[in-house]
Amino acid sequence: MSTKHYIAGLVIILYLGLLGYLYSGIGREAAYPSKPITIVVHSKPGSAIDFMARKTAAIAKKYSKVPFVVENCPGTQGVVAMQHVIDSKADGYTMLGVTKSFLSTLIVNKSKVNLDDFRFIANMISDPEAIIASRKRNLLTLKDVIKDANSGKTQVWIGPGTGSRDHLMALTTWKTLGIDNVKWIDYKSGPQSVLAIMRNEAAIYVGNPADIKGKTGLNIIAIASKQRLPALPDVATFKEQGYNLDESMWRGFALKRGVPDEAVKYLTSVLQKVVNDKDWKLYCNETYVFSNFEDEAQFTRRIHREVKNTKHYLNKAGLLVEYVKKSRLPLSIVFLIITAGMFLLLLAINRFRIRFVEYSQWVAGGIMSVALFFFYQTTLFQIPDEINITSPALIPELWIVVLVVLCLMLIFTEMNKPETEQVSDIKTVWIVIALLFAYLVFMQWAGYYLTTPLFILAAMYVLKYRKTAFMITGSFGFVLFSYLVFNLLLHIDLPQGWWFI
Amino acid sequence: MICRKDGGLYNRSMGALNDFWLGLQEFGQFLPILMMITGVVIGIMVGVLPGLSPSIGVALMLPVTFGLDAISALVLLVSVYLASNYGGSITAIAINTPGTPGAVATTFDGYELTKKGKPLYALMTSLTASTVGGLVGTIILILFSVPLAKIALSFESYEYFALGVFGLTIISSLAGKSPLKGFIASGIGLLLVTIGFDTQLPFSRFSMGIPQLAEGVEFIPALIGLFALAEIFYRIEKGDHIQPKEAARVDLSQTIPVKQLVKLKNVMLRSSVIGTLVGCIPGAGGTIATFIAYDSAKNASKHPGEFGKGSLEGVAAPEAANNGSVGGALVPLLTLGIPGSASTAVLLGALMIHKLNPGPELFSKEPGLVYGVFISLFFANIFMFFVGLLGNKLWIKIIAAPKSLLYPLILALSFIGSYFIQNSVFDVGVCIAFGIMGWLLKRGDFPTAPVVLGLILGKMIEENLRLSLVKGDWTDFFTRPGSLIIIALAVVSLFLPYLKKKLIKIAK
Repeated sequence: MSTKHYIAGLVIILYLGLLGYLYSGIGREAAYPSKPITIVVHSKPGSAIDFMARKTAAIAKKYSKVPFVVENCPGTQGVVAMQHVIDSKADGYTMLGVTKSFLSTLIVNKSKVNLDDFRFIANMISDPEAIIASRKRNLLTLKDVIKDANSGKTQVWIGPGTGSRDHLMALTTWKTLGIDNVKWIDYKSGPQSVLAIMRNEAAIYVGNPADIKGKTGLNIIAIASKQRLPALPDVATFKEQGYNLDESMWRGFALKRGVPDEAVKYLTSVLQKVVNDKDWKLYCNETYVFSNFEDEAQFTRRIHREVKNTKHYLNKAGLLVEYVKKSRLPLSIVFLIITAGMFLLLLAINRFRIRFVEYSQWVAGGIMSVALFFFYQTTLFQIPDEINITSPALIPELWIVVLVVLCLMLIFTEMNKPETEQVSDIKTVWIVIALLFAYLVFMQWAGYYLTTPLFILAAMYVLKYRKTAFMITGSFGFVLFSYLVFNLLLHIDLPQGWWFI
Repeated sequence: MICRKDGGLYNRSMGALNDFWLGLQEFGQFLPILMMITGVVIGIMVGVLPGLSPSIGVALMLPVTFGLDAISALVLLVSVYLASNYGGSITAIAINTPGTPGAVATTFDGYELTKKGKPLYALMTSLTASTVGGLVGTIILILFSVPLAKIALSFESYEYFALGVFGLTIISSLAGKSPLKGFIASGIGLLLVTIGFDTQLPFSRFSMGIPQLAEGVEFIPALIGLFALAEIFYRIEKGDHIQPKEAARVDLSQTIPVKQLVKLKNVMLRSSVIGTLVGCIPGAGGTIATFIAYDSAKNASKHPGEFGKGSLEGVAAPEAANNGSVGGALVPLLTLGIPGSASTAVLLGALMIHKLNPGPELFSKEPGLVYGVFISLFFANIFMFFVGLLGNKLWIKIIAAPKSLLYPLILALSFIGSYFIQNSVFDVGVCIAFGIMGWLLKRGDFPTAPVVLGLILGKMIEENLRLSLVKGDWTDFFTRPGSLIIIALAVVSLFLPYLKKKLIKIAK
């Protein structure tokens, strides 16, 4: 026995110890709460909701027996995060950060996720909508805005998103102020919109008061809340200027329906204590929002009221139409037909002798099939005439045409090129790929910690590595390493598998 | 520097010195220095792990900063940001896996050097270039943040579109043997990036009803697949893993190539400036800067033929640009309060949490803090250099391990790297799919780098083209001086390699 064998033995012992530690809690019912509570957030780190979640976690430390950790699940404006919470166990250890934008998300995306899948346990914050202009414009009050809109030239309002809360706020404001010579331009991201308004590129930017923090040259014309913000005592509300408009973004927390009442009660009381903490008040003041606690009953009533309103305005803006026709044939069949056609074309070009088709020609043919499949999908787009934008099909079709032309050029230039013989072991590659897919599938059942060493060992075996001691140290050592780095150091949970949930 | 209201020249320079002194006092304490050291070490680790991009690294450190004072918090985050940009190059060189998006261009020549048994050359070049880039970026940030902020502010959709087109012309220098295959590869990237939400209407294109595709293909898993997996599949096919040990030998007795590094000073300085300038444009960012720097280094080089085959200049240029972009990205954040990248968006949040308002006010209200951060960046760069020197010894040993032992471990690392960006199993599938695609392309001598370029630039081109057309019409691209200059640069960059060849022929 040499040192390497001792190390391998030690690694195995440590690995078994880790497994025992990770899975020891399973099957034992401890009193709630007995492990950290995850707050799932639908954005990448750094957004307003992410900060609220992290601030909540930091303050909750004072009032909760277990820590709160934030997990980011970005994607499809919240659908991914909502689905993630629905897929997790209804045990009160997974909480979802919710914002008002979820209402439009669920309506516009027509996703399977439903508001009734959740219990909205606490509203934490009310972030009033604001309309903001460059100081150079001399738009100081709502009267100025109306006068400017009626002066003949179309008034441009900007903000991030089409069908977003900011867009809906613009629509609501136009109706309240009674102006109609106006246009909404979607600047995609918040920062880009703010830059544009700093350049005085448009008349009005719709956003939140915090957007002007630290910037010179911008002024808030009005905020859509009942009272003025303590941090911005000079900024008047819509109401004070004679227009009744109350539009705020809210941010709060929800749980999956079916969570035991005991957990709901516990979390609600912790969240209520967080809102009453002096650090929370400071945080709200600093970020120009109102601290606004609503319990489950109040919060749910609010949501029901606002869903109706959201639908009304989305419909009015023409955003609830179907933009894509249904394909007559299923898309997979269409793809098969295109690929088969391509196959025949390649054969025909090479005088129907399959041996003559060059590898590059096969690749070019494959790329063309995908490009043409995309082209078929662009023919299904239907954009209502009254929406005045360049067609969503324009740029994809441009790339498709370029690709098809270039691929055809390649197919013809590569004809009858002499093949160079090369070492090639395709079989091993496909075995490794198959192993990867098997790893992907089994990891979801049996968890990361069990499947990973098996995958690494199998792959080493396939690649003809045979030094047992190093194989063991490498594979089990890798799992120990990933536990140390990801779980302990960076607090990223690796999946433990469905078997064990 | 932001000048005070009382501004004469004399007052201003005295004010700056004074601010500098205040900054030194803020930074020169136990906790900020400890945070700088911690930040650099964690940052390098974040960079080395594929999938952990600088922005994720900064975000992961964010909760830690809640308990710190403002200067220590900012120093920690800025150090992580800086060092992770360097760390990404290590795996790019060692195993052809860019640890961060900004290290893609480093693989072109860095990995070639490793294959030739000279990884230490590449690692030392990348470390030195990163340090030089970081220092130049910091100096530019300190001296010119106000005029640069004006440039950043003047960039409208027209200029972004032009910049995207300029970026595309770089393909001609990435394409390698067959330009036609290079252009096809970039077309694949451009087409695949149109999957997902339309840039003007709320509906998803080409996602075929798959909810995970509704927002398009996630970039980092695709990147890991195209580089790490594709390369491993390709090498396995070529039988690389069963070669006798001598063939894959790495020269462990290499010494640090000081002379060659000194020769690279011009490339490093020029690329650092490019990195800083492009970095300060919100939304453009470090990754595009690395490609532009690579392209310009190749065009200016005396040995353009070596690029893509293991040129030290080809390693120095993108790395200097990448770390230069850190200083650049802080310009719009600190002077305008606009985050130009995902990482600076997290920094903005951190500033807010510590009750600081980025923007002109910050310079006048908290000069000590701003200059303290500047000074910390300076020292973080130097500290990073020494940590990197120590690290290089370790990386070389890893590279020298047998491939059949190394490949399974890299595959497992790629797997976990693409998983935890969104905790999504689907993303792992994306990574494997792009790995297979990259391998199939490589077998036919199609370069994979243009695919990445297409993925990076496609959205920028489409979004800004359509936004420009909503605001005005086609002529605006040519009547605005900014976009006209960039378009002219694009045309020059497209034809320069061919013109140069022609001229050389004529001269002969």
